[in-house]
Amino acid sequence: MSDSHGPRLSYQPALPIPNGKTCLWLFLSTEIMFFAGLIGTYIVLRFGAVAWPAPHDVLLSEPLGAFNTFVLICSSVTVVLAFEAAKMNQSGKAKGYITLTLLLGCVFLGVKMYEYSHKFEHGIYPVKPHGMVYDKADVYYSAAVRKRLNDLKTPLTAKGPNATEDDKARILVIDEVMKKVDAAETAVRNQPDSPEGVIKLTELAYEIYPPHDQGTVIQAAEAGAIPPAIVVKYAAYEQPTADGKSEGKGEEREGINEKNPWLRLPIMIPGGPMWASTYFLLTGFHAIHVIVGLIAFALMLFTTLDRSRATLVENVGLYWHFVDLVWIFLFPLLYLF
Amino acid sequence: MSDHDQHTEVGHDSHDHAHHGGNGKYLLVFVALCLLTTGSFLTYFPFWRAHVPVPASRALMMAISCTKAMLVIMFFMHLLWEANWKWVLTIPATFMSVFLGLMLVPDVGWRINNGYARYSEERWVYAADPHKVEASDLKAAEKDLQREGAN
Repeated sequence: MSDSHGPRLSYQPALPIPNGKTCLWLFLSTEIMFFAGLIGTYIVLRFGAVAWPAPHDVLLSEPLGAFNTFVLICSSVTVVLAFEAAKMNQSGKAKGYITLTLLLGCVFLGVKMYEYSHKFEHGIYPVKPHGMVYDKADVYYSAAVRKRLNDLKTPLTAKGPNATEDDKARILVIDEVMKKVDAAETAVRNQPDSPEGVIKLTELAYEIYPPHDQGTVIQAAEAGAIPPAIVVKYAAYEQPTADGKSEGKGEEREGINEKNPWLRLPIMIPGGPMWASTYFLLTGFHAIHVIVGLIAFALMLFTTLDRSRATLVENVGLYWHFVDLVWIFLFPLLYLF
Repeated sequence: MSDHDQHTEVGHDSHDHAHHGGNGKYLLVFVALCLLTTGSFLTYFPFWRAHVPVPASRALMMAISCTKAMLVIMFFMHLLWEANWKWVLTIPATFMSVFLGLMLVPDVGWRINNGYARYSEERWVYAADPHKVEASDLKAAEKDLQREGAN
């Protein structure tokens, strides 16, 4: 037989780890590629974009993002402590740590939900029928503003003599904005070759939703999303200074939408729709992973987490660390870049 | 990392490494992760943005993220103490995601810092504003010409 010549090879039926762990690592390697693709696409879209909003333009709060990072790191520690406890056959302690992880995961999702709803309130959605974000202040934008104003005004005027003081005040506000829309549209129609109309439309857009960062105004102007003449007007917006005093003209920044929350007019953020698509896709997929992890933790609470279940705790833990890992990259890329 | 070599024997049972982790080590990693997060969060503050150029902060943030990722993978996911099977799963996955990233390089290269003159007509149709030749385009085109002249 040929066996007698060569060295004796012992047959290893599988990797020297439980099959469940092998499967989970295989799954994680597909997940690495899934998120590598998503993050790679984000980088191409973001740095290839003509204009990209500053974090504050799209109501991103960096401290909230940092807090969420901290929460996920804490939950990674608790899950690893649960694994150690399970290995020591301390089921109660392991369950305690898993409960803690579950709570921390819920805190993360809660913060995420708050962030999402805050953006939704201001009309920052990824899709047009619900989203109210426009890339530039063009005639489509002004048509959308006009439609929203008319939709608001019709029921108010229908009340006729029954209109309250509040209703009358609202009609006044609507008429005032409508005058500006009319003026801008007239300028576009009468002088199609002059930039006057676009300047008026952009000024209107910034009155409705002011820019939060001078840098993005300049960037948008360079990219041709807004007329350069606008930059001079908004150059008064403060740059971050060395001593950290950047909040000087807070009142000036209050837009029509902010003063009248019921108005909810369409807003113009250069690069905003693309930002919304990437942000909600990346954080949405990450949140789905968090939810799956939380379901796994919740189910684990119904079992005894002793030494015989240590592999289960380890596997779910590995998955959870991966979710933490993805957030480690998403936080700087989405909030701080 | 110094004890790495002692624990890479083939066939090492993954359940039998209670002596590797130790809750003290986990807490140390936790503190390191928090400090690193604070490090990248510093870029948020105005005094940082006033003094450090954006590309430098971005490079720093990515370096910090990679360090944090390595800490999580090595200690929390126990890869530091696993037997050699770990390479079977991690190396192909790393290769494939690196290749995936590399495949995007042409896209990134053509779009970033390449001057608006290099934007394709098709892309301008979907950009924030239909393409009109403006001062910035001319400047970019000039720069391109100079670059080509220099070569």
